[in-house]
Amino acid sequence: MKRILSVMLSSLLASALFAAGPVKLLNVSYDPTRELYQDFNAAFARYWKGKTGVDVTVNQSHGGSGKQARSVIDGLQADIVTLALSYDIDAISEKAKLLPANWQTRLPNNSTPYTSTIIFLVRKGNPKQIKDWNDLVRPGVGVITPNPKTSGGARWSYLAAWGYALRHNNNDEAKSKDFVTRLFKNVPVLDSGARGSTTTFAQRGIGDVLLSWENEAHLGLKEFGADKFEIVYPTESILAEPPVAVVDKYAAKHGTTEVAKAYLDYLYTDEGQEIAARNYYRPRNEKAAAKYASSFPKLTLFTIDQVFGGWQKAQKKHFDDGGVFDQIYQAK
Amino acid sequence: MLHKKTTSFILLGLAFASGLAQAQPVQATSATSTQQEINQLRQRLDELEQQQKVTARTKELADEAAAEKAKTAASVTADTGGFTIKSNDGDFTLKIGADLQVDNRSFFGAGSGSLTDTTVLRRIRPTFSGTVYHNVDYFFRPDFGLGTTLIYDAYVELKYFSRAKLRVGKFKPPVGLERLQVDDDTTFVERGLPTLLVPQRDIGFQLAGDLVKGRATYAVGIFNGVPDGSLADTAASNHRDYAGRIFLTPFQPDTKNPLHGLGVGIGASGGNVDGQALPNFKTFGQNSFLTFASGVTEAGHRTRLQPQLYYYLGGFGLLSDYSVNEEGLQKGTFRTDVSFRAYNVELSYILTGEKKSFGSPTPKRSFDPKHNAWGAWEVSLRTGRFWADHALYNDGFASPTTAAREAHEWVGGVNWFLNRLVRITADYGKTNFGGGAALAVGGNRTEEKVVTVRFQINFI
Repeated sequence: MKRILSVMLSSLLASALFAAGPVKLLNVSYDPTRELYQDFNAAFARYWKGKTGVDVTVNQSHGGSGKQARSVIDGLQADIVTLALSYDIDAISEKAKLLPANWQTRLPNNSTPYTSTIIFLVRKGNPKQIKDWNDLVRPGVGVITPNPKTSGGARWSYLAAWGYALRHNNNDEAKSKDFVTRLFKNVPVLDSGARGSTTTFAQRGIGDVLLSWENEAHLGLKEFGADKFEIVYPTESILAEPPVAVVDKYAAKHGTTEVAKAYLDYLYTDEGQEIAARNYYRPRNEKAAAKYASSFPKLTLFTIDQVFGGWQKAQKKHFDDGGVFDQIYQAK
Repeated sequence: MLHKKTTSFILLGLAFASGLAQAQPVQATSATSTQQEINQLRQRLDELEQQQKVTARTKELADEAAAEKAKTAASVTADTGGFTIKSNDGDFTLKIGADLQVDNRSFFGAGSGSLTDTTVLRRIRPTFSGTVYHNVDYFFRPDFGLGTTLIYDAYVELKYFSRAKLRVGKFKPPVGLERLQVDDDTTFVERGLPTLLVPQRDIGFQLAGDLVKGRATYAVGIFNGVPDGSLADTAASNHRDYAGRIFLTPFQPDTKNPLHGLGVGIGASGGNVDGQALPNFKTFGQNSFLTFASGVTEAGHRTRLQPQLYYYLGGFGLLSDYSVNEEGLQKGTFRTDVSFRAYNVELSYILTGEKKSFGSPTPKRSFDPKHNAWGAWEVSLRTGRFWADHALYNDGFASPTTAAREAHEWVGGVNWFLNRLVRITADYGKTNFGGGAALAVGGNRTEEKVVTVRFQINFI
């Protein structure tokens, strides 16, 4: 009897192995990571095919980070999320219980395989002479940034401006609020995501400066022409740490947990780090950082924990309904 | 959008005008101040251009947001299929429909004296149906016709597999062909005599599906069990009825085959009954012709068998069914099996070129006299017979002087389909009886002659 059972089980196992078809993953990400993950997905597919013999196709979904998190909470069945800030993945964990609360401890560097920051993209020749954050509040300067309520990048930009003001005004909250209020008075259009803001600035010709993810600014330069725009690094900015996570419940449902974990692990490998650096994301890996040092000018970077006490506090105070941003923007 | 060329042209014009204005009275204005003025104008124009771009971009973003919203927004439609609310992905729907039939019956001839001409609300049925999670259908339909309130249909159907759809609730058991036809699609205002011998609605479980690429359908189910032609909301005993039907349309996919519209099948049900009340059987004019004697109940075994067929070719239609029932009847301590039989053959032809089918035709041109459009017209004829065992009288289950053991009907009619939803039908029905009257007056109940005119609107 045992023999019969074992033969049956072996047959089942064998047929399951032979029947293994291509694996599909859905990576729900934020706006400016399209190019990064196009490159990375191709590299990972090659790696996975070589390792397991199985084809893997990674579908990408991009949009404002907050909006993307909301989509996953509402049922978009992502195997992986690679969002702009940890708060958005926390929201998926808290509201939809799709992954555990300690998700950020599962991968190195708080599950942030690369970092970035917020810099300025200005028109060629920098006609408004924008060099630092305090230039953004001058009357007549048009500032382009997306809506912090829907865009992760915009939240980083907002906090970078707030942090700059705090650090230059002896941590005076009122002065910082006034500074950011004046900055948003100079924002004529609020897009929902970073890619939309790039369109507003570069293609529609609106504004004098785009507050941009570092990689997005370089991409804009490459795509729209170095003869039209130039990058300005402010004296200081915020250290943005975009996190990544497997969405446990959906990955388990799709039977993709193993490949989804491998996908994120691969971001930390030499090849993954190099792909990040090539796409202007600051790598964690020292080797890649050294190789691409010239792509990332040095500037003072403060962290959200240092200035705001972490994402939860920053979110609640500034971006929740009725928070400081609502007060500022309604006042406008 | 102000183009660079236009801007330069305006600036040049303004500069020229400004130069002319100042040159005449005083020649002292310096070139510097002119340049300043030009710069100010250029700045002003830049600002205006920015404002214009901002306005255009704001509108573009609003349009994008509206388009995005439309992708997920539910749609509301009102058309010949009723009123429908549908989620953007189609997985969730709610359809609100209605079925209204108003009948006028006029009796005439020798037997009309004791019959009442009347106008009745035959069926008043709002319908709520739809889908949740793409694969789960629901259907709810009460009836307020004839002055009563009844739940006719209330069921949920899991349709994950087209070959095995599970339906649970109250619905038509899979036995009688004409019974399974939608109420608004029957050729005549009342169904034929074999339908008196099949269950109307019952509560239970049914597994049904399509086989052989749609050439065959099957349905099997377990039900509470109801008397012939009846419906009920509770079981009369611990026993259950088992019902099943298989129906073949072997030439279905080949529309060029003249037998394409042929369907043949058989429905059956069986089960034990234990003291269930018996129904009255009614004529085409909706008068009882067979009422069982007081104290007679159904007891023992009840089997129903119904061979059935239809055939449609162009505007021509044929539908026929034959019911064969064996039912245990009990009066006091005496019980015996009694057989009931009925057949029905109906023919119809659509005069206006539409195709006849198991459903209602859609007129090629909806009724619109101003544009010489008259809807679809159909003529129809049917004959049928119902008869029960002599045991009905011999064993005292019914009185030969009041209950007819036999009924033979002829019905002819005209259907006018004004459009897909509205129909007017005029049927003439004549029924002769065997039994049902005292021997002194011949022993047979006087024939019934009735003209029924129905006005019907339905959208489901």
